[in-house]
Amino acid sequence: MIIGANIKEAVRSLLSSKQRTILALIGIVIGIGSVIAMVSIGKIVQKESLRQFKEMGTDILTIENDSGGGGDSSGGGRRARSAPPGRLKLADILALPAQCSGISAVAPSMRGNGEASYGGKKIQNTSLIGVTESFLDINKLKIRQGRFISDLDSNGQFCAIGSKLSGEMQKLGGGNVIGQKIRVGENLYTVIGVTAEVLEGGMRRFQPNESIYVHITAALRSSRDAEISNIIARVSNGVTNMAARDQVLDYLRTKTKSSSVRVTSPEEVIAQMEKQMQMFTLLLGAIGSISLIVGGVGVMNVMLVSVTERRREIGIRRALGAKRGDIRGQFLIESIILSLIGGFFGIIFGVGVSRVISYFAHWQFAISIGAIILGVGVSNAVGIFFGYYPARQASLLDPIVALKSD
Amino acid sequence: MLRLREIKKSYRIGPTEVDVLKGVSLDVGTGELISIMGPSGCGKSTLMNIIGLLDRPTSGSFVLNGSEVLYTNDDVLSDIRNRSIGFVFQQYFLLSKLSAIENVKLPLMYRGDAHGITHERSMELLRRVGMADRAGHRPSELSGGQQQRVAIARALIGSPALILADEPTGALDTNVGSEIMGLFKELNSEEGITVVIITHDPGIARQCKRVAAMRDGVIVP
Repeated sequence: MIIGANIKEAVRSLLSSKQRTILALIGIVIGIGSVIAMVSIGKIVQKESLRQFKEMGTDILTIENDSGGGGDSSGGGRRARSAPPGRLKLADILALPAQCSGISAVAPSMRGNGEASYGGKKIQNTSLIGVTESFLDINKLKIRQGRFISDLDSNGQFCAIGSKLSGEMQKLGGGNVIGQKIRVGENLYTVIGVTAEVLEGGMRRFQPNESIYVHITAALRSSRDAEISNIIARVSNGVTNMAARDQVLDYLRTKTKSSSVRVTSPEEVIAQMEKQMQMFTLLLGAIGSISLIVGGVGVMNVMLVSVTERRREIGIRRALGAKRGDIRGQFLIESIILSLIGGFFGIIFGVGVSRVISYFAHWQFAISIGAIILGVGVSNAVGIFFGYYPARQASLLDPIVALKSD
Repeated sequence: MLRLREIKKSYRIGPTEVDVLKGVSLDVGTGELISIMGPSGCGKSTLMNIIGLLDRPTSGSFVLNGSEVLYTNDDVLSDIRNRSIGFVFQQYFLLSKLSAIENVKLPLMYRGDAHGITHERSMELLRRVGMADRAGHRPSELSGGQQQRVAIARALIGSPALILADEPTGALDTNVGSEIMGLFKELNSEEGITVVIITHDPGIARQCKRVAAMRDGVIVP
């Protein structure tokens, strides 16, 4: 009853000084809006990067070999056979599924170099990757047109290309890209297939839509200082990533003297990323909170003015029997209502901002319920925290002094 | 009803102590209609604040309704004001944002009384002071006399034993003032409510059954 009447009076009082109320609201809306926007964006980014990882499945291992940087300059020739001690041989890698029971498939890859051109015109933002047939499946790529590189292409000069690159070529030459020739460095490759567009990032450490895929043997043959830089292995069903990892490490140690082989499972990466993302979200929230404090001070200011203006009213209420707690409650409810209204619009504002940002960043937008609960909770807390001091001032007014003031 | 003994009140204004009440002793029986009269500055407003529990004396004893008033707990004082005393002020002191009937209800809000009963009782009291047809009006839409009638209804809502009126006709013209005085007399004679009227106007004081004259912080016999 008393709370109901207080709410009614608080609304009436806020409405009676609209301009001041609106100014205080703007502060609160921006404050809560920025907390919501920041936290939502943090969550969206977190989801987005996890999505990229999970899309490829978590039953894969990434094997990397840092064999003392690219400083090795022993003459050209057959890289795969005359590899220096630190390097992994292609044959050893391809033997992984046979040697380790925990590995069902393996896809080594290497980066080529040289400028790519088509019909005499340079193609920007593309790179050559040497792959094997298994690369397509392990990386969850799909063929849109033609076919992918097969292990029978090891002696041919064929390539498959990413969908974006295909689009580029069509812009340059027009017509069907299948059968066209791309020059990379000194070599010409005939396009035999186009992959479908997929997400970038995550466990794919290359640009899937912009790459030129050739057979790894062809790539090793054509490129100087070529080195198998990245291997992706799929773990057999029923084997844990950790067990498979140990098998791989044990096997590779017998094949290379270098101890620089690193095997990473997506779980580790995801766990690490989640930790980082939490810090990131926390940081964003903290930045948002600064504007929230400014908004809260605005509420306090408005409430202090309100208390000063309504001293006579406070005196009358006290004379009629209002206890200090009643007066404090009345002003506290007023500031909480002010903050909650601000919180409501702040949530709309914050969700809107995060929606716009995720639209332009091409992220998948999601409304975070947590952020909304946070918004309501925080605006309530702001109302109580910044409303308490003015409410207390009001409740401590001497009734006689309050009655005499005008 | 009221028993004041050697009530003293002094204020510190800068470095000097000002004695406003210099030992007031006064007994008011239940059902009395008494005016406390004196020129401005004689301390009658301070005395009214002490009787109304809005202020506390520097020394002396005050027994209200048979029990000594202790000034230790502010909430208890608020509760006594709410239940035992009805205030009527010279400036009416209605809340401008509330309608007449909401103003009348206001003291009951601080008791948490049920809504329905509050409404019935408020209408009844507005009828009693002749303001039933203006229940929905804001104070600014009412004349001074009408506002004072609403204020009296508000003072009556808690069924107090004592009505404390501070210059209740001070802002009204003579005709309206005597109407208001008539209302006080009626309440006193018909319902036995003790009425204490503070005034500087001998004309008003004369209408009361008893007059206590004040001068320089004491009651003169």
